[in-house]
Amino acid sequence: MQPILLFDRSWQEDFIKRIENDGPWGKLEMFELAYQADSERIVPSFHGLIAPGMLPKLKLHPHQIETAKTVIEDMHGKAILADEVGLGKTIEAGLIIKEYMIRGLAKKVLILVPASLVLQWVSELNTKFSIPAVPQRKSYVWSQCDVVVSSIDTAKREPHRSLVLQQNYDFVIIDEAHKLKNHQTKNYQFVQLLKKKFCLLLTATPIQNRLSEIFYLVSLLKPGYLGDEESFAKTYKSGIRSVRNEEKLKQLVNQLMVRNRRDDTGLDWPKRIVTSLDMSFSKEEQTFYDTLSELRKSGLIQGFSLLTLQREACSSREAAFVTLRKIYRDKAEPSTAVLWNTIFEKLNGVQSNSKAEKTLDLIRKINDKVIVFTEYRATQLYLQWFFKQHGITSVPFSGGFRRGKKDWMRTLFQNQAQVLIATEAGGEGINLQFASHLINYDLPWNPMRIEQRIGRIHRLGQKKDVHIYNLAIRGTVESHILNLLYNKIHLFEQVIGELDEILEKIDLKDVDRQVQQIFEESESDGELRIKLDNLSSVINSENRHFLEDVHHAASGNT
Amino acid sequence: MQQAEILDFLTRFFKTSGCTLLPTETGGQLKVKLSEEMDQLLMNRPFYWHYIRQTGGIPETATLLFRTDEKSDDGELIYFGSPRLHQIFEVAKKLAPFVRIYQEPLIHSSPALEPWLCLNMKISDQCDLKRDRIYSVGLQLINGTLVEGFHEILSKLTLSPKAPDYCYTLSPLITVRSGIRRVEKLIESELRCEPSDWSDSAGKRWERDQELLDSFYELETEKPEAYFQEKEALKAQYQPRTVIRLINAGLFYLQSRSFLPDISKGR
Repeated sequence: MQPILLFDRSWQEDFIKRIENDGPWGKLEMFELAYQADSERIVPSFHGLIAPGMLPKLKLHPHQIETAKTVIEDMHGKAILADEVGLGKTIEAGLIIKEYMIRGLAKKVLILVPASLVLQWVSELNTKFSIPAVPQRKSYVWSQCDVVVSSIDTAKREPHRSLVLQQNYDFVIIDEAHKLKNHQTKNYQFVQLLKKKFCLLLTATPIQNRLSEIFYLVSLLKPGYLGDEESFAKTYKSGIRSVRNEEKLKQLVNQLMVRNRRDDTGLDWPKRIVTSLDMSFSKEEQTFYDTLSELRKSGLIQGFSLLTLQREACSSREAAFVTLRKIYRDKAEPSTAVLWNTIFEKLNGVQSNSKAEKTLDLIRKINDKVIVFTEYRATQLYLQWFFKQHGITSVPFSGGFRRGKKDWMRTLFQNQAQVLIATEAGGEGINLQFASHLINYDLPWNPMRIEQRIGRIHRLGQKKDVHIYNLAIRGTVESHILNLLYNKIHLFEQVIGELDEILEKIDLKDVDRQVQQIFEESESDGELRIKLDNLSSVINSENRHFLEDVHHAASGNT
Repeated sequence: MQQAEILDFLTRFFKTSGCTLLPTETGGQLKVKLSEEMDQLLMNRPFYWHYIRQTGGIPETATLLFRTDEKSDDGELIYFGSPRLHQIFEVAKKLAPFVRIYQEPLIHSSPALEPWLCLNMKISDQCDLKRDRIYSVGLQLINGTLVEGFHEILSKLTLSPKAPDYCYTLSPLITVRSGIRRVEKLIESELRCEPSDWSDSAGKRWERDQELLDSFYELETEKPEAYFQEKEALKAQYQPRTVIRLINAGLFYLQSRSFLPDISKGR
């Protein structure tokens, strides 16, 4: 195929006019400097990366450079970046943008990220890559600025939407792209309509649930690559989650997906040191906890609500109170007045929080930056107050914070406070690798969420070993769950990629729901224990198979 | 570009642009007091200059300190990828797009100077990948002699912006406009002879993705907007093209005998 020849002739009239008017002429020395400047900047080969040489201040890891090269040369600028959490997807994306910009292949770039990450992206692109990215604040930015970072929620709303869809983007990058798995959502349809030459989808969990999700993600990049909807279903589907022709599908997907795993990076990762601490309730706390079962016995609440209440009671009486009050408002009747009185009496009887005290001890002993994760907003507030009483400075962190506030809290934690108390929603997307101690004040039931928590500090840039402390109250729901996750399936030592794959294989993506069901349906403690044991042995046997496979593959390579 | 080359480039740049170089305490540094023109081009402070013009005040231009040593922290670190250096590259291009230059006569040489059109170009092959090369060519505007690598040859001559005394320039027979056409024809014929493996394989990638796209929408008799948009995007991504851009151009009046016989390849 012959290339089209395009002569840029825009300069010719100007040149001829200057000859006619006898000037103005430039200086000879400057003429030579300009020639030298362009000679230095030409890129003589299609292959290889120029950008790393232009970024002497940035320390790049081999897997990051390799990824950028693969995306540009083998995947032609359309790829899913699915590295495990903490391997530097943002850096890889920045490097690819930079390379395309230096080569003059991309000028107009759009980066869509969760609202909470907009400023972080802007700052990383500017400071690490000297890419003049701007956050979208005013509508003129869409047309006036070349590199724009925005949240997808802003971009898809009018008046922005029509402006964005008018732009001809050379390069579109979408962070947390797993949120685009459903093709019927507005977000998906919006992204599909963007005019884009190159495109990167960033996600840590590419295949979360259904097979069709990977189909729609890939079809955003390369429509037709996995066939159309019908032929895809015919070739690969044999149920909602099970796959036919798996090898073929994997092979196809791997041609446009890069997934680096910690183990493959060849980097010396800091160790994870996990400590489980269990403690007893005080007498008052225990009484309160036990009384909660009365609510179920009297038929006021179902098993699931009891479970929620019990988990909350293990966290703080404040957390339990929020839920109790709600139930009370909805369901209180004269006939149950006595029961309610007893419950609130017991709640008031709780004057101290054993777990909070233990945490305080621990923080004092650590005597360094600590991140405390709790599931409950009420506990977060309580802990902040409680630490303050004992002279420990802390800052709160929640997913609901505006992006500016998030950055501010992170800075406060880095420079001034000893403790950051985060609720679950605050877990995603912030980097806290300057801290190396993490306390799981209470445990989420979804193993992936635990991994995301740990991923905040166990990532590139972490120089020390990472300490993880798990707290659980003896003889409660919490100790069962800790036992399952920690002692039985050794979750904390796993790396996310493996766990991901194991859970996928045994069709147990919803481990949390399974666990919940076991708790709800078990009539006795003994039954509960047996069912949890069964679950853990299923996971473990898959785990062993998996490790054998990995081992097998590794030895097969040599 | 090595650090020493960068310092050399900057020194020449600031001298040429009328700035004042100041002494520095250590090597690997460059201190410069900007001229008014350079301050306006480099410092990005239009409001300040507007204010000075409005009030008729005396401007205080900026003094910049550059360093090439990564470890020191005195001054602005300058390296090949630094935004400041690229800003300066762009300013250099902006300041000298076109020149008219005369050769200083050698002793006993003819007083006649021949007109040459010099075009410095950047040629880029582009699909989803890209590579560039520099192409510098000179065209003698009387007999049509074409010389490649012209810029390198110029750097060996003694040149001046003013017509030397006791010399005269010969009138061109070829106009600049048709001279440019001749150069374009030359470039075109040379490019057509080059191996096209890169554009062949880009064409194949394009074709393959286009086939996938067609199959994706095969069942829809009326293709949706998304189809046509994606089709355009594939074209933008893969269509092989060679883009020829000007770096800068000049009219040079040169001695004929001292220059041509040993260097030109004559066409």
